[in-house]
Amino acid sequence: MERKKPILSSLLSLIVPGLGQMYVGQLARGAVLLLAIALTSLLIHWRESNFLFIGIILAWLWGVWDAYSLARGRPMSLLPPFLIIGVIVYIIGWHVTDINLVGLVTDVADIKPLVSDLVQPAVLERDIETQEAEIIFESPCSDSPPDKGTPLEDEPYLIILDKTCGEVGETFTIEGGNFWPSSRGQIWWLNMAGEMKRRIRQEGEYLNFETDEEGRILPLTIVAPVPFGEARGKGPQRSRVQALLKREVGALHLSRTFFLVVDKMMETIFLALMATTVAILFAVPVSFLAARNLMGGNPITMGVYYLTRTVLNILRSIEPLIMAIVFVVWVGLGPFAGVLALAVHSVAALGKLYSEAVESIDPGPIEAITATGANRLQTIVYAVIPQIVPPYVAFTVYRWDVNVRMSTIIGFVGGGGIGYLLQQWIRLLMYEEAGAAVWAIAIVVWALDYTSAVIRERIV
Amino acid sequence: MLQVEHLTKIYEDGTLALDKVSFEVPDGEFLVILGLSGAGKSTLLRCINRLIEPTAGRIIWDGTDITAASGEELRRIRRHIGFIFQEFNLVERSSVLTNVLSGRLGYVNPWQSIIRFPREEVKRAMGNLERVDIADLASKRADELSGGQRQRVGIARALMQEPRLMLADEPVASLDPVLAHSILRYLEQLNREDGITVLCSLHFLDLVRRYASHVVGLKDGRVVFQGRPDEITDQRFKEIYGQEAEQITVT
Ligand SMILES: Nc1ncnc2c1ncn2[C@@H]1O[C@H](COP(=O)(O)OP(=O)(O)OP(=O)(O)O)[C@@H](O)[C@H]1O
Ligand SMILES: [Mg+2]
Repeated sequence: MERKKPILSSLLSLIVPGLGQMYVGQLARGAVLLLAIALTSLLIHWRESNFLFIGIILAWLWGVWDAYSLARGRPMSLLPPFLIIGVIVYIIGWHVTDINLVGLVTDVADIKPLVSDLVQPAVLERDIETQEAEIIFESPCSDSPPDKGTPLEDEPYLIILDKTCGEVGETFTIEGGNFWPSSRGQIWWLNMAGEMKRRIRQEGEYLNFETDEEGRILPLTIVAPVPFGEARGKGPQRSRVQALLKREVGALHLSRTFFLVVDKMMETIFLALMATTVAILFAVPVSFLAARNLMGGNPITMGVYYLTRTVLNILRSIEPLIMAIVFVVWVGLGPFAGVLALAVHSVAALGKLYSEAVESIDPGPIEAITATGANRLQTIVYAVIPQIVPPYVAFTVYRWDVNVRMSTIIGFVGGGGIGYLLQQWIRLLMYEEAGAAVWAIAIVVWALDYTSAVIRERIV
Repeated sequence: MLQVEHLTKIYEDGTLALDKVSFEVPDGEFLVILGLSGAGKSTLLRCINRLIEPTAGRIIWDGTDITAASGEELRRIRRHIGFIFQEFNLVERSSVLTNVLSGRLGYVNPWQSIIRFPREEVKRAMGNLERVDIADLASKRADELSGGQRQRVGIARALMQEPRLMLADEPVASLDPVLAHSILRYLEQLNREDGITVLCSLHFLDLVRRYASHVVGLKDGRVVFQGRPDEITDQRFKEIYGQEAEQITVT
């Protein structure tokens, strides 16, 4: 009998991992082993990384050996099988998260333009002066095509050298004069009303030109693009071809981007302020309902206490980002949705912090003030409020600080403020503008962080 | 005269803290309540001004039944009874002056007291701080003070009540022996000069012998001794403190 036990338990462990351990009475040990091997096998199966089953087999065999020695009264360390399982888990983790250390090193150059734009935020700019001239092209040809234009005396002009009409894809040649000398310019394609336009491309690249020393545009060949508008394909359609030069003039001044960023930053700060204020209004009364020392003693008030706590915990566990998505759907894009999302989350967060401040009130002073013959109101004013106001103020300032940070993120999902702007600029690859927003966020967050730390230090 | 008659306190959890305690305190007495930790000293003192509700028995003070009073009447009684706590029970974040002024809450107009105290009350508070020799600390925050200074604030606060009876629950248990004497001397002075009746619980017998005019010994919620301090013989001492007890002296 005594001889058989080790053999039987190791056999059992060979059939099902951990079974042998359970058989000799080590239920938890067996269960943990079984669970670990089963779950890891599932993981391997999910990733279809079958070579990792070698590890499972090793761990399994170790379990068999363990069951054998266990039955003979000498348990072994379970460290090796769990080490093997740990390695397997991390190998899978590496694959799942697409870790690419090589790319991290080799592609570092890709972020150079982005970083250089970010560190040169579009805060300052000069005024822009433009020069432009146009000529008309028709496609396809009608009976009376537009004229080729005439060179002017003092103003910039464009003329067409060969033909002023043709099919889409045919080429025509333009020439111009009286522009700024030795300057780069762009060619644009407009409909006749001028409300639709795009830059003309040639073989995928934008078509640019450079004027000579006398300000002439040397003959430039253009492949006729598709005309704009509804009339496309319905007979002859005229389009405008425009040569456009831009240059910066005057002194540096604060850019439009700067004012836009300031504008939206203020919106963010106020968004956080409104959300925090709304949260205070709700959280203060709620905090009394969620304080055990005030609500204890009577089953009804205890019930209210547990209910309040539960609601606060649930609300707090919902990320403000998700809350913002809900409110964007509800009240539409914009800062109001952000205010609501942050307010709801802050009520929960502040309610909990406030109620803990109430719970940590020292009953001694209350007793002392009561003993002087003070009435209830006086006791609250002299013994309770001095104890809770400092932590309340500290938590509130901290919350406002957190809310400013959160509202930049909430903007990404349409909750208003600077985050919304930042998100658009990033999508449009406007990194200089995005840089200005990033800097603004960093400065404001730092300043608020500092202020709130100072205030908290003073008060507590 | 304060009369305690068959005072019984049973806490919600069933603990019998006071068991038919009866004694009398003539006006002008310095009565010390002596007893081991858990004997019921704090419970007794707090029952007298109803910080704790007695379960049964009566407390009669100059003919008024304190145990029957409620609401406004109870507050009127309380404002004549000062209370000094072992842990001082100051509002830590408020100034010393505010702490002292709060002793006057039972007298001033409640609505006015929420905004600010009348000028003459501030003067009174400064006077009481001078009495306990800490007028220079008036504008400090209570949490900046040492233990001895705090207890003096506690005394000044109680003095604001113009008390005729002073209850002191182990007022010197958190202080070192030298400070203990200085605090008890203030109480002695109030007792002798102002004729305030003092009920004070203490731990150390030599302090009792030095300050008490009368002693009530408590053990497990029962009165086991009543008499003058010089009547506490070794035998009596062991009855109060248990057979293994030795006398410890405080210098
Ligand atoms: N709130 C309470 N609920 C239940 N039992 C209590 C409560 N307060 C005190 N007791 C019990 O009542 C008894 C008397 O307590 P009390 O605090 O009056 O003793 P004490 O003589 O002041 O002791 P100490 O010298 O430690 O202050 C003790 O057994 C104590 O455990
Ligand atoms: Mg006590």
